[in-house]
Amino acid sequence: MPTNQGDLNAPYALQTDRPSSMSAIKAVGLKKTYSTGGEEVEAVRGVDLDVQPGEIFGFLGPNGAGKSTTVRMLTTLMTLSAGTVHVGGVDVAADPHGARRKIGVALQEAGLDERQTSREILVLQARLFGMRPSEAGARAQELLELVDLTEAADRRVKGYSGGMKRRLDLASALVHEPEVLFLDEPTTGLDPGSRITVWDEVRRINSMGTTVFLTTQYLEEADQLCNRLAIIDSGLIIREGTPASLKAELRERTGLDTDPTLDDVFLDATGRTRDRVAGEVKEI
Amino acid sequence: MTATHQGTAGGGATESSNALRDSFILGGRAIREALRTPDSLFPTMFIPLFFLVVNVGQAAKIFPSEGTPFLFGQSYGAFQLPASLLLSASFGGAGLYLVEEIEGGYFDKLRATPISRMALVLGRLYAEFVKTAAVATVMVLLALAFGIRIKSGIPGFLVMVVMVSLWAMVFAGFMQLLALKTRSAAATQGGSMIFFPLLFLTPNFVPRDQLTRPMEIAATLNPVTYIMEGVRSLVLEGFNGAAIGKGFAVVGVTMVLMLALSIRMVNNYD
Ligand SMILES: Nc1ncnc2c1ncn2[C@@H]1O[C@H](COP(=O)(O)OP(=O)(O)OP(=O)(O)O)[C@@H](O)[C@H]1O
Ligand SMILES: [Mg+2]
Repeated sequence: MPTNQGDLNAPYALQTDRPSSMSAIKAVGLKKTYSTGGEEVEAVRGVDLDVQPGEIFGFLGPNGAGKSTTVRMLTTLMTLSAGTVHVGGVDVAADPHGARRKIGVALQEAGLDERQTSREILVLQARLFGMRPSEAGARAQELLELVDLTEAADRRVKGYSGGMKRRLDLASALVHEPEVLFLDEPTTGLDPGSRITVWDEVRRINSMGTTVFLTTQYLEEADQLCNRLAIIDSGLIIREGTPASLKAELRERTGLDTDPTLDDVFLDATGRTRDRVAGEVKEI
Repeated sequence: MTATHQGTAGGGATESSNALRDSFILGGRAIREALRTPDSLFPTMFIPLFFLVVNVGQAAKIFPSEGTPFLFGQSYGAFQLPASLLLSASFGGAGLYLVEEIEGGYFDKLRATPISRMALVLGRLYAEFVKTAAVATVMVLLALAFGIRIKSGIPGFLVMVVMVSLWAMVFAGFMQLLALKTRSAAATQGGSMIFFPLLFLTPNFVPRDQLTRPMEIAATLNPVTYIMEGVRSLVLEGFNGAAIGKGFAVVGVTMVLMLALSIRMVNNYD
C-alpha cells in the first residue's frame, strides 16, 4: 500500500474513514449541550464509540450520565452539538432517512399509542417503513409470535402489563429488520422473569445478525449479555472493554485477591465507593 | 443503495407522493383514535349547535326574514349557521393528542421512521379534515330539517364543507405548532385561547357594514371574517365568486404559513 511517508495525516485519514464504513456504530467527538432557560447543561462532552457488526454493546452509567442523550443522538432523534455519527456506514446528520432504515430503536419510555392494539401498532410501523398492507400484516404476525404477544394482539395496549409493553416496543423496533438495534434501559422496571425473557429475545435477535447497543443500570445485565461495554459518567466515557478485561484490570490495579464483580468496576470507575454510596443513602 | 437516497432532499415526485401516502396512513390511525373516543367528538357538534339555538332564539325577533335584506329571505338561523360551522371546526383535538403522544414517547417512535417530516405534521390534520367534514355535514342536515336552505344547492354545500374542513386543518395545525413548541397540555390548551377570540371578532351577528366602527376594523383585519363571509354567501346568495375566492385565499395562505412553520419546528425538534 503506497502511503505517503511525509504526510502524517494521510494514514490517519484512512483509518478514520475505513472503520466508519465497516463499524456498525462509529461516533467521534460526540457532544450535546442543552440550553434550558438560559442555563447550559453539557450532557455529553466528547464521546467516541466504535461498535462492530454483530456485537452486543453495553452502555452503562449512573443516572444523568448522558446515556439517553447519546442514544437519541445516535438514532437521529436529536441534533448533535458537535461530532459525527455513522450507523451502518451512514452519516446520521447528512442522511437521517438513510440511517433510520438501518436503525431500530426502543427508548427508555416505551413509547406506544395506548388507544391502538399491538397488531395495529406493528402494522402501522411496518407501513411507515414502506411495506404494502399485506406484507405489513404478515410482518406484524411474525413479530407478535417472536415476542409472544399473539394472544393479546387485538387488545388495546392500554391494558397491557409493563413487560408486555416492553416486548411490544421491542417488536416495533424490529419491523424493518434493522442492522443496528438501540435499546435504552430495556429491562428497567421489569420483574426478574420478564427481564430474562427480554434478555433471551435480545440474544435471539443478535444471533440473527443484528448489532445491539443497549444502555442499562443493571450490571448483571451487562455481564450476561454484552461482548463489550463502556461506562459513561458526567458525559464522558471512563472505562471501555470486555466485562472480563475490565474486571481483570481492576484486580490488577488494586491488587485484590478475589475476582471483582462488574459492580466493583462500576463503583471504582464512577468514584462511588461502597462506603460512600452507603453514606449518601444514610444522609437521605 | 437507492433506498438510502429516497430519504434525502430532492427526492422529487416520489418523495412527495410518499409524504402523501404516509400522511394517509397516520391520518387513518388518528381517525380510528377519534372513533374510539367518540365523547371527544361530542363538544365539536353540540357546543356549536347550542350557540346556534341560543343566538337565534335571542336575535331572531330583531331580524325577521321579511324586512332584513341581509337574510336574502331566509331565517336568521341561516345567517348564523356559518358561524356555528366555524366554531365546530375549531374544536380539533390534534394539538392535545400530539402533546399526549410527545409525553408518552410515541412521537419519537414516529420520528425515528424514515417518513417525510411533512407527513408527521399532516397525518393528524388529514384526520381533522375528515372529522370536520363529517360533523359539518351532520350539522347542515340538521339545519335543513329546521327549514334552513343552502342557496347554492348541493355543489355549494360541498364547497362549503371543503372550505370549513380545510380551515379546521389550519386551526388544528396551529394548535399542533403550539404543542410542538410548548410540549405541554396546559400551555397548548391555554394557547388555543389566543386563537379563540378570532372567531368572535367577526361579523357573526350582523354583516360587516353594520358593525360599530372599531368592530368593523377588527373584523376586516381578521382572516376568519372572510371564511365566514364565503360560507355565508353560499348559504344565502348562491355562488358569489368574490366571497368564495377570498375565503379560499385566506385558507390557502394560512395553510401554507402553518405548514412552513410546522416543518421548520419538526426539523429542529430535539
Ligand atoms: N431535554 C433536556 N433539557 C435539559 N437537560 C436535559 C435534557 N435531557 C437530559 N438533560 C440532562 O442531561 C443529562 C443527561 O441526561 P440523560 O437523560 O442523557 O441521562 P441518562 O444517563 O440517560 O440518565 P438515566 O439513567 O436517569 O436515564 C442530565 O443531567 C439531564 O438532567
Ligand atoms: Mg436515560
